[in-house]
Amino acid sequence: MVIVGGLVTLLIVELKSETTRYNNILQGPVQDADAARRIQLDFKKQVQEWKDILLRGHNPDDLAKYTRQFHEQEGNVKTETQTMAGTVQDPAIKLLPNDFLAADDKLSASYQSAYCVYVKEKFDFKSADKLVRGQDRPPTDLFDKVVAELNARVVTLTAAQHAATLRQLKILLIVVGALLVLDSYVYCSVLLGVLRRLAQLKGVSDRLARADIEGLSIDISGNDEIGEIGESMKGVAAAIEELLAIPSH
Amino acid sequence: MGIKLKSRYEEVGKELGPQGRMKLAMLTKISSVKAAELEDSPENLRLVDEAIDQLRKGL
Repeated sequence: MVIVGGLVTLLIVELKSETTRYNNILQGPVQDADAARRIQLDFKKQVQEWKDILLRGHNPDDLAKYTRQFHEQEGNVKTETQTMAGTVQDPAIKLLPNDFLAADDKLSASYQSAYCVYVKEKFDFKSADKLVRGQDRPPTDLFDKVVAELNARVVTLTAAQHAATLRQLKILLIVVGALLVLDSYVYCSVLLGVLRRLAQLKGVSDRLARADIEGLSIDISGNDEIGEIGESMKGVAAAIEELLAIPSH
Repeated sequence: MGIKLKSRYEEVGKELGPQGRMKLAMLTKISSVKAAELEDSPENLRLVDEAIDQLRKGL
């Protein structure tokens, strides 16, 4: 009972620590990777909003609409990246969001210059586009690298945790197997002991039934019911011996 | 050897008959044959005397 109780406690503790380790992965690297993918998507939307300004912002209303949407996306990207830069723990990745922010600031400045040209030149998208063409590539590449690094980290940590779980499972199976073997051994030993003593009891009983007490030795001891029957049989054997010893008249 | 013990069985035989001797043997788990082979130790004598008391009370 004590061993089984200990094993159950060990299982609960192991399960709890296993859950904690998986939670740490989920709350750390997995959340970072999710945030990075959101920023990556928002940045692509920001670039798309810029293209909308150039292609569809030919009247003041549309220009105002697409400019607002562009700045919204731009703000989202910056805010989310700043948050991520503060939460990422991995030193290999920690500096990349800041590098991206610097590249994004540079791109924003280029967008602003191109926007001024676009408005000044009466919606001449070719002149504006010329000023920013290809400039979204460095921050895009940089952030693709952030996402790839974070994804790789998640994969590595998950694989390591999975391997650790398998290792613990193997140890647990070995312990449970050993306990089962030990339990079976104890059970068989007790069962064989009981069967052996019952066989002795039957032998004594058979001899008493025939009043065959010559050289009968009753050696069935113990503090259980079989021992008590053995003790009673000693009395019966003594009574039969006495009966045989009483001279008949 | 167990002279006193053996004599106890004979006394019980006279007093209570063969049934009494059998009951004495059953209570002590010792027959008169075995009792004759045992020592007349205080423990053995006490065991037999207690059984005899029990038999007498039973009557």
